[in-house]
Amino acid sequence: MTARFRIGVDVGGTFTDVVCVASDGATTLAKASSTPADQSEGVVNGLGVLADRLGLSLADLLARTERIVHGTTVATNALLERRGAKVAMLTTEGHRDVIEMREGLKPDRYNLRLPAAPALVPRRLRLPVRERIRPDGRVEVPLDAASLDAAIATLKAEQVEAVAVCFLHSWRDDAHERAAAEAVRAALPGVFVTTSAEVLPQIKEFERFSTACVNAYVGPVVSRYLARLRGRLADAGYGGPVFVILSHGGVAPVEEAARLAAGTALSGPAGGVAAGVALAQRGLGQDLITFDVGGTSTDIALIQEGEAALGRGRTVGGERIALESLDIVTLGAGGGSIGHVGAGGTLQVGPRSAGAVPGPVAYGQGGTEPAVTDANLVLGYLDPDNFLGGARKLDREGALAAFGRLGAALGITAMEAAEGVHRLANVRMADGIRVATVRRGVDPRDFALLSFGGAAGLHASAVARELGMTRVAVPVFAAGLSAWGMLHTDLRYEMARSELGTGGVPADDALRAIWEGLESEGRARVAAWFGGAIETRRAADMRYGEQVFEIPVPLDGVEWDSPGLAARVTEAFHARHRALFTYALQGEEVVLVNARLAVIGRLPPMPAAAATTAAAPAEPFATRRARLAGAEQALPVFAFAALAAGQVVQGPAIVESDTTTVLLLPGDAARMDGRGWLDITVPKEA
Amino acid sequence: MSAPDPVTLSVLDNRFRAIVEEMGEAMLRTAYSQILNSSRDFSIALCDGQARLVAQADHIPVHVGAMPFAVQAVLEAFGDAIAEGDIYLLNDPYHGGSHLPDLTIVVPVFAAGRLIFFSVVRAHHTDIGGGTHGAYNPAATEIFQEGLRLPPILLGQGREPRADLVRMIVTNTRLPREVRGDLMAMIGAAHLGEKRLLAVLDRHGAVETEAAIAAILALSEAHARRIIASWADGEWRGEAFLDDDGFGREDIAIRARVAKRGDSITVDLTESDPQVPSFLNSSWPNTASAVRMAIAFLLDPDVAKNDGCFRPIEILAKEGTIVLPREGAPVTMCTSHCSNEIVEAVVKALANACPDRAMGGWGRRYRVAIKGRDPRRPGRDFVWHMFHARPGGGASSQGDGWSTAGEWHSAGGLKFGSVEMAEARFPLFFAKHEFRPGSAGDGTFRGGLGGELVMRLETEGPAVANTAGDGVRYGAAGMLGGRDAAPHHYTLERADGTERVLRTKEVGIPLAPGDVLHVRAGGGGGWGPPEGRDPAARARDEAEGLL
Repeated sequence: MTARFRIGVDVGGTFTDVVCVASDGATTLAKASSTPADQSEGVVNGLGVLADRLGLSLADLLARTERIVHGTTVATNALLERRGAKVAMLTTEGHRDVIEMREGLKPDRYNLRLPAAPALVPRRLRLPVRERIRPDGRVEVPLDAASLDAAIATLKAEQVEAVAVCFLHSWRDDAHERAAAEAVRAALPGVFVTTSAEVLPQIKEFERFSTACVNAYVGPVVSRYLARLRGRLADAGYGGPVFVILSHGGVAPVEEAARLAAGTALSGPAGGVAAGVALAQRGLGQDLITFDVGGTSTDIALIQEGEAALGRGRTVGGERIALESLDIVTLGAGGGSIGHVGAGGTLQVGPRSAGAVPGPVAYGQGGTEPAVTDANLVLGYLDPDNFLGGARKLDREGALAAFGRLGAALGITAMEAAEGVHRLANVRMADGIRVATVRRGVDPRDFALLSFGGAAGLHASAVARELGMTRVAVPVFAAGLSAWGMLHTDLRYEMARSELGTGGVPADDALRAIWEGLESEGRARVAAWFGGAIETRRAADMRYGEQVFEIPVPLDGVEWDSPGLAARVTEAFHARHRALFTYALQGEEVVLVNARLAVIGRLPPMPAAAATTAAAPAEPFATRRARLAGAEQALPVFAFAALAAGQVVQGPAIVESDTTTVLLLPGDAARMDGRGWLDITVPKEA
Repeated sequence: MSAPDPVTLSVLDNRFRAIVEEMGEAMLRTAYSQILNSSRDFSIALCDGQARLVAQADHIPVHVGAMPFAVQAVLEAFGDAIAEGDIYLLNDPYHGGSHLPDLTIVVPVFAAGRLIFFSVVRAHHTDIGGGTHGAYNPAATEIFQEGLRLPPILLGQGREPRADLVRMIVTNTRLPREVRGDLMAMIGAAHLGEKRLLAVLDRHGAVETEAAIAAILALSEAHARRIIASWADGEWRGEAFLDDDGFGREDIAIRARVAKRGDSITVDLTESDPQVPSFLNSSWPNTASAVRMAIAFLLDPDVAKNDGCFRPIEILAKEGTIVLPREGAPVTMCTSHCSNEIVEAVVKALANACPDRAMGGWGRRYRVAIKGRDPRRPGRDFVWHMFHARPGGGASSQGDGWSTAGEWHSAGGLKFGSVEMAEARFPLFFAKHEFRPGSAGDGTFRGGLGGELVMRLETEGPAVANTAGDGVRYGAAGMLGGRDAAPHHYTLERADGTERVLRTKEVGIPLAPGDVLHVRAGGGGGWGPPEGRDPAARARDEAEGLL
């Protein structure tokens, strides 16, 4: 029988990871250099490397591939580097400055010399249109043709590439937005047009307008990129489906990703969280903290009861995107973070990073300031001759000299400085996890730390100790876990509608009608994407009458059909409020603001093969001199792939593969789990 | 005592900062009222056993320099009687507080029987009794008309607040449930800080921890002194004016004589005007905090805000002046006014020493609150507080100011609500909410623009408004040749066609349906002479319709 393949592709800042799962569950990882100018080039290169590893031609590989799932940073980079489209905005007369007012907020509290950030759409392209709808849907001012024509004339003269139509109260009635968008499309064919209500039909104009403007800004860039990718894949012989992983952790076809391009802003880190969910389903545990250490940053997310936590949006490159997205805390500390003496005179790690170029000192590409990776090398945790399977030689002497300079500034030795940088990186990562957990009101000690990304394995055990956590898991595919995770998530379409009346929770029949409307529209959309089974999940954003912020309330467990639905929904809110904030206010007015529905198309489960084929427990293949807690000692080094299922490695020791290295500290016991991860028990600190 | 090794020092420094951040997150999650969980009008600090500020979370700048006074007041009142598990509370501006609505919880942290830290949480409460709803009473001539006074009290022992005391306090407010909820959130956050500090002490011991504190403060002091030493020496004057005291006296001056020598700064406020009968007087902790805030703004943003960085600053004031009123004078407005004027006077003076660091003035605060009935919700009053149409931020040597980013005391940290949500919840129609062209102070770099609001009242029957603020005669100051911004201009356009200018300190303004509140907020001050402005920037402002 000929094996069939599913392929996940994760484009990172330095490497493009390609993971392939065959129909027998065999999993293969390939890496290629990322190509920032056109990421699709690196994608096809990576597929070529993968084909080589499988002993196939690229055409044969693609002919046997059923599905490609892609994580892309095109939208993220366009926002961070301000390389998006030239966007104009049509907006309600009298309210053209919503996106630049930014709700009165400015970043960096004590920096009053921070120059004002330019808005994504400059004021001269925020074009007022005479129209006005009331919060109850009444038309206060009809859409004025003359002002619309004048705005369209400006759009033409300015030769904009994209237009966001953003009118007040379109969450209630978007007739004016749709009419204006139609007029723009008719007058300017080929221009990317988006309306605020189609992107986010929710009350609160700043969030809706900002999200729509981001969508217009990245939409043309993402569309062009995905078209290029499809073209390259077609040229290479692939005609099957291509899905993109979105910020909420589900996937959607490329056409949907192009339409809702703002929803790809967290596409990069979403794969890792999806992997956490998949590993939870495979028995790793229901409560996990994902700990993804990359070159410049560490991404932290919570998985509770097997599900990833979602939040109400993100700020990327200073721009608010209020779409439902994974609640990922990003910390400016990673393998490339630089150790330096701060202006205040103390040793600091990050947020400056050596990046991919010049990279750490040990890369020998011109870096002079020591990075966390340099510390890990100097301390003996990394093998200078076998980094990335020998693909890159590391310059230990150069790194040591850099720590000599850093230590001299602090009055300590080079090795003490290196150990200090490693230790401080651990402390910062642990603090990031504390904030991520306290934000959701949970205790990290109840979770296992799921460690992945190239650099996490060297820090995970120490970070767990800092937090009093007793369990760390390092997947076999730690270095390509994001790409692996993308293959294990489902199609997902997130819907929301503001349903705010004059207050209160709607009556039973009205509630059912609201969600029936969402459900029929959502099912139709996902049914167009694929032919499998579709599930839906209800939730609502609710608050007490006088509060300003709504909280998300899952309604999955609420019995829907019998009388008393409104009371049950209200009770679900009280219970959720109590769980989040320790108290509830029975008897207080409860307001339902947004109705939400997640429409999920279940993709067939992925086959799993045994993670290791080793028959007998492996012996260490080398010993390495490493510095732990101020003293040098010889550590046994084990090959990750050679560990037999059930084998236990006692710390201190090093377990390494071509793409990842795990440092076990004294007292750690690491058991190789045949389902695909190293399961490390960390002793409680005395 | 020798300092710990540099790595341990950095580890502890990071821990302290992470602890205050975690306390802030806990506070956000558990606070009851919108003023705390939405506008984030609260602050967190760790002080050592001598009431020295060790770490603070970046919340409300005007709180920060004031928190150690609260700890000092607890130490003075209770001294050796302070025991593990105690919970202290205060708000009295003459005993460690800033103004009455800001309650402060102080929890001591012990190691082996020795007092090492205080975990401190300060939060602005929605009501504290007194003559008007929401604490701002422009008619008050005594502090007793502003609300309930709490000198440092022992609120509870064994980490449990006394139920009867809490009941007594909340009973003296109009919103007992909100105040109780917020108070409990504060105590919870302070205890979280204690728990984290106990873990630090358990691991590092009291001796190493105290040595680290001393070293952290010394490093911060050295950092601040290095920066200050790089400025020109000299002595300069800076002045800023309040419009009026609400009782007929105008042009009330804050006068700062600032001497900068070597790596030290003396701010002498003794020539400021005498105290006023109304709530614009500044309590001493608030005055000291405003001066510290001004200098923190001039230092590098990454200077750790702790006791060390404030050591180079000496502050002089004379009792009986507006910056050091005699006990009993009302002070509620002081965290805005005259804080903003104190900051502006100090920055004006020091602009001569460090011109590239000085910034144009930020806007002044001018509040409006409206109480009335919504025809869609019969039988219930609503109260709406205006946070819209914010003033502009000041320009600096680095660029133009932030538009609608607010006042010196909040500096872009106070959020205004959604117009759509306001229309859905209140009988108000926002015909216009945009930048106010021409409001920014011109300069080589111009200030940010203030906002303009045209809002029509759609209440059922009459409503009533109060105002509390300043800045309709004096706009935010231009710096170093930059121009002053336009001042605020608020008018009431009556349904009957008449119009009148609103004054900044009015109580009980009758309103009718159809009346329009027209707010034109001031902008931020400019920096440097307008002749120096890049013509391209000017052309851009023209094209953007900002002039």
